[in-house]
Amino acid sequence: MHLHRLEKIWLSIGIGMLAVFLIVIGTMAFSMGIKPPSEHHHTIDPTKVSETAPFDQPGLRQTGDNRYEAVMVAYAFGFEPEKMEVPVGATIDFTVTSSDVVHGFYVVGTNINLMVVPGEISHLSHTFDKPGEYLILCNEYCGTGHEYMATTIVVK
Amino acid sequence: MHKKDEPSLKGTFVSVLLLGAFILVSWLGIFFLFMARN
Repeated sequence: MHLHRLEKIWLSIGIGMLAVFLIVIGTMAFSMGIKPPSEHHHTIDPTKVSETAPFDQPGLRQTGDNRYEAVMVAYAFGFEPEKMEVPVGATIDFTVTSSDVVHGFYVVGTNINLMVVPGEISHLSHTFDKPGEYLILCNEYCGTGHEYMATTIVVK
Repeated sequence: MHKKDEPSLKGTFVSVLLLGAFILVSWLGIFFLFMARN
């Protein structure tokens, strides 16, 4: 097969770029654990959220040295618990579910961005290294009160 | 095939490089944004 000299150059550049992207993402996924949160797949009956542990008592619990678990319920139109406070450097393991429709769970300025689907339990961990007030928003349109659906995490 | 018969691919080459540069810049932008927020 005859290839033009310039074709050889752009094919090499393209294949090289693809290789670099895949190596970087593969290294991050397999040796640093940075990947979509798919390893915990848990389900729940969405009509019985308020009776099912741990969502019968949503809140922030300390699980270790500067490590917390935030059990949260997203509903139309708000989040439970309403306000949370952790010290700087705390790692929060978020466990979130919905008691009605599909909601979003986005913490502004971080990589926390979950889709909260009724019947599914979403998990994600994040370490808060900078003090401040972090806004949690619903970023999936869920109804007429969607824009009021917000809460905060205070890190200090 | 004689060299004279080869089509000129200079324009195509520049277009491919521009598209490649756009993809690379977008990828790096998203990558560093992700790292800064992590």
